[in-house]
Amino acid sequence: MLIAICLAALLAAPPDAVVEAPAAQGATAPAKDAARKPKKKKKAPKESEAAPDDPIDVDAAERGGGVRFVWKQHPSLRFGDFARVDFEAKLQEDAHSSYGPVKGLDPWELHRNRIGIQGHLFKHIEYEVERELTEKELTEKDILLGLTPSSQWKDVNVNLTYVKNAQLQIGRFKIPFGLDQLTGVTHNDFVYRSLGAIYLAPARDTGAMVHGRFFKRGLNYWVGAFAHDGDNARSKKIEGGDETAAGRLTGTPFRRLARGPLGAIELGTAYTLTRVNDDSFRPNGLRGRTVMTQDTFYETVYVKGLRQRWEADVDWTVGPASVRAEYTRVTDERQAQGLGDEDLPDARARAWYVSGTWVLTGEDKRRPLKAAAPLFQGGVGGIEVAARYERLWFDSVGPALDDPFRNPRAETIFPGGNRALTLGVNWTLNRFIKLQVNGIREHVEDPERNPVSNGAAFWSRVLRLQFVL
Amino acid sequence: MLLNRMRALAVLTILAAASPSATLAQTPSPTNPTDPNAPAAAADPSDRFFDDSQLHDIKLTCNSRDWESLNQHYLDDTYYICDFRWSDQVLRNIGIRSRGTGSRSGVKPGLRVDFDRYTTDQKFLGLKSVILRNNTQDPSGLRERLGMLMFRRMGLKGLREAHARLFVNNAYVGLYTMVESVDKAWLKKNYGENDGYLYEFKYDVGAPQPFVFRYLGADPALYVPIPFKPETHEAAPRPEVFERFIWAVDAVGDSTWRRATEEFLDLRAFVTHLAVENFLAEEDGITGDYGPNNFYIYRLENSNRFVFIPWDKSNTFWQSDYSLFRNVDDGPPTHQNRLAIRVLADPELRELYRATILKCADSVLADPALTSGVVPAADVVLTPAPPDKPGWLETEMAREYAQVHDAAIADPFKPYTNEEFEASIAALVDFARSRSAFVRRQLEVDRTLHPARK
Repeated sequence: MLIAICLAALLAAPPDAVVEAPAAQGATAPAKDAARKPKKKKKAPKESEAAPDDPIDVDAAERGGGVRFVWKQHPSLRFGDFARVDFEAKLQEDAHSSYGPVKGLDPWELHRNRIGIQGHLFKHIEYEVERELTEKELTEKDILLGLTPSSQWKDVNVNLTYVKNAQLQIGRFKIPFGLDQLTGVTHNDFVYRSLGAIYLAPARDTGAMVHGRFFKRGLNYWVGAFAHDGDNARSKKIEGGDETAAGRLTGTPFRRLARGPLGAIELGTAYTLTRVNDDSFRPNGLRGRTVMTQDTFYETVYVKGLRQRWEADVDWTVGPASVRAEYTRVTDERQAQGLGDEDLPDARARAWYVSGTWVLTGEDKRRPLKAAAPLFQGGVGGIEVAARYERLWFDSVGPALDDPFRNPRAETIFPGGNRALTLGVNWTLNRFIKLQVNGIREHVEDPERNPVSNGAAFWSRVLRLQFVL
Repeated sequence: MLLNRMRALAVLTILAAASPSATLAQTPSPTNPTDPNAPAAAADPSDRFFDDSQLHDIKLTCNSRDWESLNQHYLDDTYYICDFRWSDQVLRNIGIRSRGTGSRSGVKPGLRVDFDRYTTDQKFLGLKSVILRNNTQDPSGLRERLGMLMFRRMGLKGLREAHARLFVNNAYVGLYTMVESVDKAWLKKNYGENDGYLYEFKYDVGAPQPFVFRYLGADPALYVPIPFKPETHEAAPRPEVFERFIWAVDAVGDSTWRRATEEFLDLRAFVTHLAVENFLAEEDGITGDYGPNNFYIYRLENSNRFVFIPWDKSNTFWQSDYSLFRNVDDGPPTHQNRLAIRVLADPELRELYRATILKCADSVLADPALTSGVVPAADVVLTPAPPDKPGWLETEMAREYAQVHDAAIADPFKPYTNEEFEASIAALVDFARSRSAFVRRQLEVDRTLHPARK
C-alpha cells in the first residue's frame, strides 16, 4: 500500500512544487523548531512549497478570511487567520535482513504509521497531536505479568509563544536531551538513530517546559520538569524512572568570532536528573541492544536512587556537508541493591558517535534535504551519502571491588558494549518521498552476549521507503 | 483404619528412635558411594550432593526484595540472582525462579536453581541445575523421593533425590526435596549420549480435553511444542516424528499395531515404567486422573525410538486400593490413555505388566537387610521380611521419616499442619503394608478375565 501511495505521489507531484523554503536550518528538535518558528517579520511572506516534514512557519501562513482548505506544506484547514489545522501522515516501510533468521524481525515491516494534526490558535497558541497507528498492543496475559504497554500517543502538546524568550510548552513531547534524539523522525540522516539516542536519551514524556532563544538564536535553552524519564527508559519489562528535571543549552559561540564555515558550528549540552525506584520486581536500569536486530547485549540491572544523564554535542553544516558528534553519559545509583541489601557502585552507560553526510547532487545540506530537481521533474532528486561510527557501552563506576559479573546485582558489572559502523545513501525523490539504504556493521564486544555464535562482527541491511504528507 | 495408622506411627516412632547410624547400617543408602551393593560406576561428583543418607542444608543469599518478589510473583518465571551454599562449597551468581504447575506457591515456592544462568557453563559438582521441590501437594514430603527410589529399585532410570533444609538469608524457609534435573548431563550419564531429542510433557491446563495419545491429525504442530515441549534441539525439534509415533499408537489396526508402535517405542520398557507407576498408585502419571502427565520423553540419537523418563512422583501412594487399570479399563473416555489401552490389550505385554507389578509387590515387602540398595530387582533374590519385621518400603519410609521429621515439624511455611504430616506418614505406612496384597488380588481377578497366552 505504501508503495502505491508513493507511486501516486511521484506521478502527481507538480513540476513547480519545489521552491526553496525559508531557512529552517537543522530542524533538530520539535522544541528547537518551536523556538525558531516565530520570526520577527514585519510582513508575512508568501507561503512557500516547504516539504511536509519541514517545521511549520506560522508567520508564513497565507492570510485570508473565512474557512478554507489549503494544501501547501500539508493539507490544511484555515479559519481566517486565527486558527489553522494541518493534517500530517508519516509512513515508513522497511525491508531488512541480517546475520540470519532473527526472532521477531520480519523481512518487511511497516515501521511507522503515524497520523496527526498540528497548527495554531490566535497566533500564540501552537498545538500538536500525533498518534502511532501500528503499535503492538499487549495481551491480557502480558498485563497480568506486569508488562507495561507503550503509549500510542507521540506528541500531544501546546506551546504558548506569548513571550518569545520564555515560551511555555505543556503536554507530551520530547524531553530536551540529545542532538540525535531531538532530530525529527523523518529528518534523520540514517534509518536508525544512534544507539545512545535510542537507549540512553529519554525521548518523550509528559511535562512542562520553558524554552527560548537569545542573540538571534545564538543561544537557545530548554528547561523542563516531567512525570517520568521518557519512553526510551521504559519497555514492556522496565518500569523506567520517575520525576525528571531536564535542561538543554545550545549555541553558536563562534558566530561572532569567525565569519564563514566555523561560525556555523553549533554546540549543545544537556543534563537530566531522575529519581528511579525499585518498586518493580524486575530490574529498572537501562539496557543495550543491537541496532536493527535488537539483540540484547546488556541486560538491565537493579537500580535505585538518582539517575543522571549528561550529553555534549556538536552540529556543523557547511554547504552540502554536515558533521555531527555526540557524547552521552548516564549513571544510576544502586542503593541497597546488593545480595545483602548493601549499596552497590553506580551503574554507568556511555555512548558516542561521529557522523557525516555529503549531498552528491549539490544542494545545501538541510534536514530534511530539499531536492533541487525532483525525480520526474527534470532531475533525479537529492542524493546524499552518510556514514556514522558509534559505540554504546555499560559498566559500573569506580575500581573493581569484586570480579566482574553479568548478573543484575553484580558489584562490578561485567563491561558490555557494541560498536557500529553505518554506511548509507539517502535519496530524496521529491518533497514527499525518501529512500534510505543503510548497511550496518556491528560488533558486540562481549562474545557471550554476541548474537553471532562465533562472537564476530555482523552486517545488517535495511531499505526504508518513507512517505510524508 | 485409624487403628492401622496408630500402629504404623508406633512402629515408625520406634524406628525413628533408633540411632541414624544403626538405621543406615540396616539399610545402606541407595546413593551412598560407600554402599557395598552399589554397582561399580565412574565417580560422579554430584553423588555427595544427592547422598540421601543425610539431611542436607542449602543456604541461599539474595537481596531481600528478590525473595519477596519471588514469593509475590510466584506465577512468573523471572529469575533472581543468588549465592548458593551447600556443605562447605559456595557458588556465586546462580539463578533461581519459581517453578511448578499445581505445586506453585507464593508461600513456599518451589524453586528451579540454575547454576549457569548468569555465568555461562558454570556447574556445581557437574550439575547445570537442580530442582528444589516444595512438596506442597504432599503433606508427608516423602512421596516424591520414595516413588523415584522405587523406580530406581526396579531398574528404571529414576532421578536421584535427597531432602534438604532450605535457608534464605539465614532464615529457615522449609523442608525441600532436591531433585536432579533431566538435562543433557543427565542423559549422558544415563544413556551414554545426549544428542537425541528430549521433550518435557507439558500438561495443557487450557485444553478442553487432555491429550491421551490420541491421533489429532497430520499437522506436527498438534504435538510439538504442546504437549511435547522441546528441551533440546529447540530450534529444530523434529515434530513430524511425533506425528508418526502417535499415528502408530492410535490409528494403526490391531494386526500391525505392535510392529508399527515398536518402531517408536521400546514397549517392554514402557510397560515396566507403567507397571511401577501404577503399583505406586500414581494418580497424576501416565494413566493419571487428569490425563497423562509427569514424564519426559527422549528420542535416542539416530533412532525413531522414544523412552519415557519419570518425573514428579508427588502424587504416588495415592491409595493402597488404587486400581492397577485406572483410566485404562475404567475412567472417563476422555481421560483414558490410548497408549496404555493398546499396550495392555496385547496379551504378552499385559502379562509382562502383571509380572512387573508382582515384582514390585515382592520388592516392597522384601527383607531390607538382604535386598537394600538400588539394584535391578531382576538380579536380586527377594527374600520376604520376617513376619514380625517391616519390609523394605516400610523400613525406607521409617528411615526417611526419621531423617526429615524435625525439619518437617519446624517447616514454617508448609501448607498443612503437623497433624496432617503425621497422618500422611501413617497413610504411607499403611500403603507399604497393604498395597502388595491388594494388587495380588486384583491381578488374580485380571488373570481370569485376560488369561496369559499359553
